[in-house]
Amino acid sequence: MRRIQLILIVLALGVGLLSAQDYDRTFEFHFDDRAIVVPKFGPKVEVLPILELLGAEAKFSPSAGTYGVLYGEHVIQFAVDHKVLLVDGQLREAREVPSTSPGGVAVSLSYLERWLLSPIGFHLEPIPRGYRIVRGSRFADPVAVRPVAADFGTTTTLVLSLNREVAVDVEETEPGTITIRFDDASPQLDRSVPFRSSRVRSLTSSDQDLLVSLAPGIGLISWHPLETPSRVTLELGPARPTPTPAPVRAPVETNRGPRPVVIDPGHGGDDIGAQSPTGVMEKEVTLAVARRLARVLESRGRAVRLTRDGDQGRALTDRTALANRLDATVFVSLHANASTVASVAGAETYYMSIDGASDEAAAATAALENRAGSSSNERSSLDLILWDLAQAEVLNESSRLALAVQGRLNARLGLRDRGVKQAPFVVLTGATMPAILVEIGFLSNPSEAERLTEPESQQHLAEALGAGIEDFLGR
Amino acid sequence: MNWRVALIALAAVAAVALLAWLLQGGKPRVEQAEVFEAVELPTPTPAPEQRVILLFAGNDGMLHPELRSVPLPEQVHERIRVVMSELLAGPRSAPRLSPSIPYQASLEAVFVDQNGHAYVDLTAPPEPLTGSSTELMLAYSVVNSIILNCPEVSAVQILFGGHEVDTLTGHLDLSRPLVLNKRFIASS
Repeated sequence: MRRIQLILIVLALGVGLLSAQDYDRTFEFHFDDRAIVVPKFGPKVEVLPILELLGAEAKFSPSAGTYGVLYGEHVIQFAVDHKVLLVDGQLREAREVPSTSPGGVAVSLSYLERWLLSPIGFHLEPIPRGYRIVRGSRFADPVAVRPVAADFGTTTTLVLSLNREVAVDVEETEPGTITIRFDDASPQLDRSVPFRSSRVRSLTSSDQDLLVSLAPGIGLISWHPLETPSRVTLELGPARPTPTPAPVRAPVETNRGPRPVVIDPGHGGDDIGAQSPTGVMEKEVTLAVARRLARVLESRGRAVRLTRDGDQGRALTDRTALANRLDATVFVSLHANASTVASVAGAETYYMSIDGASDEAAAATAALENRAGSSSNERSSLDLILWDLAQAEVLNESSRLALAVQGRLNARLGLRDRGVKQAPFVVLTGATMPAILVEIGFLSNPSEAERLTEPESQQHLAEALGAGIEDFLGR
Repeated sequence: MNWRVALIALAAVAAVALLAWLLQGGKPRVEQAEVFEAVELPTPTPAPEQRVILLFAGNDGMLHPELRSVPLPEQVHERIRVVMSELLAGPRSAPRLSPSIPYQASLEAVFVDQNGHAYVDLTAPPEPLTGSSTELMLAYSVVNSIILNCPEVSAVQILFGGHEVDTLTGHLDLSRPLVLNKRFIASS
C-alpha cells in the first residue's frame, strides 16, 4: 500500500513540476474574447502573433531589414538587434533590442508595451498566466514644441508649433509666468532654431508643463489653439494693472559692461580634437590662437571672453549659451581641421545653415493656406514670415562676418582659400548673434601642422582673425 | 493483489498520457499560437541597370561624383542598399578619389518613414574620428548620394552602431536628418 502511495505522490509531483515548467515557457495573451499562447524566451516573448491578435499587420521587409507594424494610421518600424526604431515617423531609442526567435522576432514585455502597443493605443494588464491587452495607451509620446516669437510695437506673438494634436490649457499662473499644460503628454522643446524676443525671457519644460517666463511688465493678453498644423499662439503685451501693487522685482542681472566678443577655442579636456602626425593636439592650437586673438582685440579696446581659458571640456551648447547670456557682439569658434587625405590644406570659415529650411518653408506655406479661417490664423502666418525674415537677417550678418574673416585670412596669410561655407554645426546652433566657425588649417597636413604650432604663425593668424572681426564690427 | 496490479497499470497509463501530452508541446487548451511560416519569395526579376551618382572625397577635401551603371531596384529601401553598398565599396578611380567613410563600415539597417526621411545605420567607427572635414565628407557623401539617386528621399539621418548621435567629430549636427547639400560637391 505504501509503495502505491509513493508512486502516486511521485506522479502528482511530476505532473505539477512539468506543468510549472511549461508556464515558464509560455504566456497567454487575451484580447477581447480571444486568447493565444505565445512562447517566451527568457524575458522576451514572440511578438508577431500578439500583434496579429490585435488585428495589426506585422511583417518583415527583407529589403529594409526591418519589421513593419501597420495599424490604422500608425506605422512602426523596428529591427532585430537595434535599439532605434521609427514610431509614426519619429526616431526613438528603446532601452533594449528585439531578438530573432523561431517565429521571427521576440521583444521584452516592456518593449512590447512601450514601443509596439502604446503607439497604437493599447496596454497590458497582468492576469494569472499572462496578460490581457486592453485599449488605451499607458505612455503618451512627448509633444515636440518649436517656439517662434515675433516682436511688434508693444506686443509679441509667441507661436508654439506642435508635432501632433494635443489638448492644452494656458494660464498666467503668477505675474510674469505663463503655464501651458499639455493633456497627458510632456512637452519637448525643439531648440534647433534660435529663439529671440525682447518680451520672453525663457521657456522651460517640466513634466506636463511648459513655463514661459516673461520680461518685467509683460503679461498674457490672449491665447488660441490652432489646428492643421497644430499650434498654440500666445499674444503677449503690457501686463494689466493689478489692484494691489505688485512687489518690486529684483533688477534682472545683465551684462553691464560693453558687449564682448566671445571666442571659443574648439575642443578641450578629454576631447583633444584632431592631432598632427607629430602629436600636436587641436585643443592646444585653438587655445593658443584664441588667447592671442583675445589680446589683439583687447589692444583695440574690445571686451573679450573665452569659452574656456584652460584645458577644460565644455559642451558645445554651453559655449553658444555663454555667448547668448553675455549678449556677445559676435561669436567665433576656432578649430583646426583633419582630413583622411594628407595633402588637403587651407583655411575655411563656416556659418550656420538651417538645413531644415525646406521644412520651415513648408510650414509657412501650410500656415498661409490656412488663412481662410480666423484672423488669428492670418496673424500667425504673418508671424512665421516675419520670423523667417529675422532668421535670414542673422544668417546674413553671419555670412558678412564669415566673408570679412576669410578675406583677411586669405590676404594676410596667403593660405589656400577654401572659402566660406555653410553647414549645420552644433556650436553655431542657437547663437542669437553673428556666429562663425573658423578652421584655421589642417593638422593632418604635415607642413600646415608645423605652421600652426609656430608662435609667429599663430600670432599672424590671430591678427588676421582680429582684423576680420574689426572689419565687421567697425563697419 | 489484483487491485494492486490495477493501480500500477493505472499509474503506467497516466505516465504514458503525460508523456504524450508533453511530446505534443505541453500547451494548455487555449487557442494555439499561429505558426508563421517563411513566405516563399517570388524569384526577383533582375532590376534594370541605371546610372548612379556616387560621391567620394577628392584630394581637395571636396566631394567628387563618380558615375556607375548598376542594377537599381524600384523599392526605395533596396535602392538605398544598392547605393550604400556601392559607396562603401569605395571609388573605382583611386587614387584620384578616396573613400568618404574612412573605416571598414557596413550598412546595418535602413528605415524610411512616410515623410521621405531615411535613416541608415552604419557600424560605428572603431576609434574616434577627427576633423570637421572628415565629418562633412562622410555625412554628405552618404546623404547626397542617397538623395540624388532616390527621389523619394528628402533627408537622411545617419545612425552609428544602432544609436542616434549628436555629432561624430564634434562639429556637424547629426541628431536630425540632413537635406541635400551641394556646397561640398566640387564644381568641376
